[in-house]
Amino acid sequence: MLCEHCKIREANIQYTEVINGVKTEHHFCAQCAKEMDFGPYAAIFDSEFPLGKLLSGLLGIGEEQDEQNKAHQVVCPACKTTYEEFIKNSRFGCPECYGVFDLLIGENIKQLQGSSIHKGKQPRYHYQETGASFSVEDISAAGSGIPGGELDVEEQIQVLDARLKEALAREEYEIAAQCRDKIRELREGIGKC
Amino acid sequence: MLKWFECVDERRPGIICSRVRLVRNWNQYAFPSRLPQKESLEMLRRLELGLQNLGSLDGKRYKYYYLADMGELEKKSLQERRVFNSTIASKKTPAGLILSEEEDTGIVLNGTDHFRMQMISPGLRLEELWARCDQMDDYINARFPYAFDKKYGYLTSFPTNVGTGMRASAILHLPTLSMGKKFHGLVAEMGRFGASVRGVYGEGSENYGALYEVSNQKTLGLSEKEILDLVNRVSLQLIAQEKQVRKMALEKHRLEYTDEAYKSYGVLKYARRLSAKDAMVFLSRIMSGIADGILETEGDCAVYRFMLGIQPANLQRVSERPLGKEELDEARASYIRKELPELL
Repeated sequence: MLCEHCKIREANIQYTEVINGVKTEHHFCAQCAKEMDFGPYAAIFDSEFPLGKLLSGLLGIGEEQDEQNKAHQVVCPACKTTYEEFIKNSRFGCPECYGVFDLLIGENIKQLQGSSIHKGKQPRYHYQETGASFSVEDISAAGSGIPGGELDVEEQIQVLDARLKEALAREEYEIAAQCRDKIRELREGIGKC
Repeated sequence: MLKWFECVDERRPGIICSRVRLVRNWNQYAFPSRLPQKESLEMLRRLELGLQNLGSLDGKRYKYYYLADMGELEKKSLQERRVFNSTIASKKTPAGLILSEEEDTGIVLNGTDHFRMQMISPGLRLEELWARCDQMDDYINARFPYAFDKKYGYLTSFPTNVGTGMRASAILHLPTLSMGKKFHGLVAEMGRFGASVRGVYGEGSENYGALYEVSNQKTLGLSEKEILDLVNRVSLQLIAQEKQVRKMALEKHRLEYTDEAYKSYGVLKYARRLSAKDAMVFLSRIMSGIADGILETEGDCAVYRFMLGIQPANLQRVSERPLGKEELDEARASYIRKELPELL
């Protein structure tokens, strides 16, 4: 059935209205439904990810008021996502959020996923188990390890530039300096060509 | 170049296609929902630059798109062909798409996560798809460091994807099995194994076309291989059961069954108006008819291709104008009439 509003998309929302005992049925598509005024039910159409909402449900239930208030004050320092926002959207704002909210939601993730320990693949590049950052040398190594070709100079500069910024953010000035020197070296190389 | 859905896997016609999807994030930027417009655009530029030679990896021809430059209809029809989901199609903030010519390999950039790689193939070829995904994952990772945590694995916007970031799935055609009383229980049982089985075009008896998608529910705590095994096992199990009940039905009611297949072909070949529901039901019947060797067509007939082709956005794209309900039904019938191969 087509949406009775736009008549273009398939209707996937059935809306039953009862006014003074008279029942009328409407069929809309999600997009048109979003634009209409359904009062308190409007939130249903705003959801981007229904599965995620399930988690919100899990999280919101059965918590002590006090605890909740305290927990709601937790904010991720990197992206400013609050615990409250996380509960509302079931969505993290940045990688740091996992560490920040770990204590609060670790159990729920375990409940949702049936496990809390990753067992699969690990990144082949730019990752060491200790959690320490990479060294500058592994760029060319990374390039040669790629199936289908090496990183060209522009790409190497791009990767180094990214690393330089990250090293600065982590206050690892020695690595930052190495990156800077290597970039300069590569740029000079291009100039000579 | 044929699109992936224009090809048929003759060995197991009940398994329409399989797909592996991998979600990753670059550790230098916040996740898309928290990334300001300016940084999103900067990141997209860097991603485009870093991945401009992606074709050197697998010899495919890739095109880069900014979602903002695409028309609504184009986005909607890519959504119908499962290149991306509705969340990404309706996303307002900057996002990009790298898509192969055959549409079997795609990467959505800055959708709900920074990278959403997806590979699709006709038939059940999950291992092969994973091997290619794994390779592409390394290719991207060599250029962009990932957000990864020893405990939680690959970090993603939604905790429902964390860990492997992997969703493996297969689309199955189960017209006879899904009619049975036991089907509901069977689906629930698969759920206990960790596999979800859902109607592709609707739930329960509303799922016209009888296509079902099997996928892993969990992404954390299982290795990639375990996920592939699970989806493989469940798909093969369901398709084996479908085969069995179909064989029994054919033995008992061969004439009725044959009649149904030919009548459906006749309607599709000559109708002047077809609703989405009718078209799906008849296509589903000729799909079984061809798989069971009752109908034989000139050349290959990838029925799934028609199921994608008759969706509203694609019909409007073919007609090059917006269509009302009546016009859609007319366009649907004429599209099938034109494209359906002759019977032998």
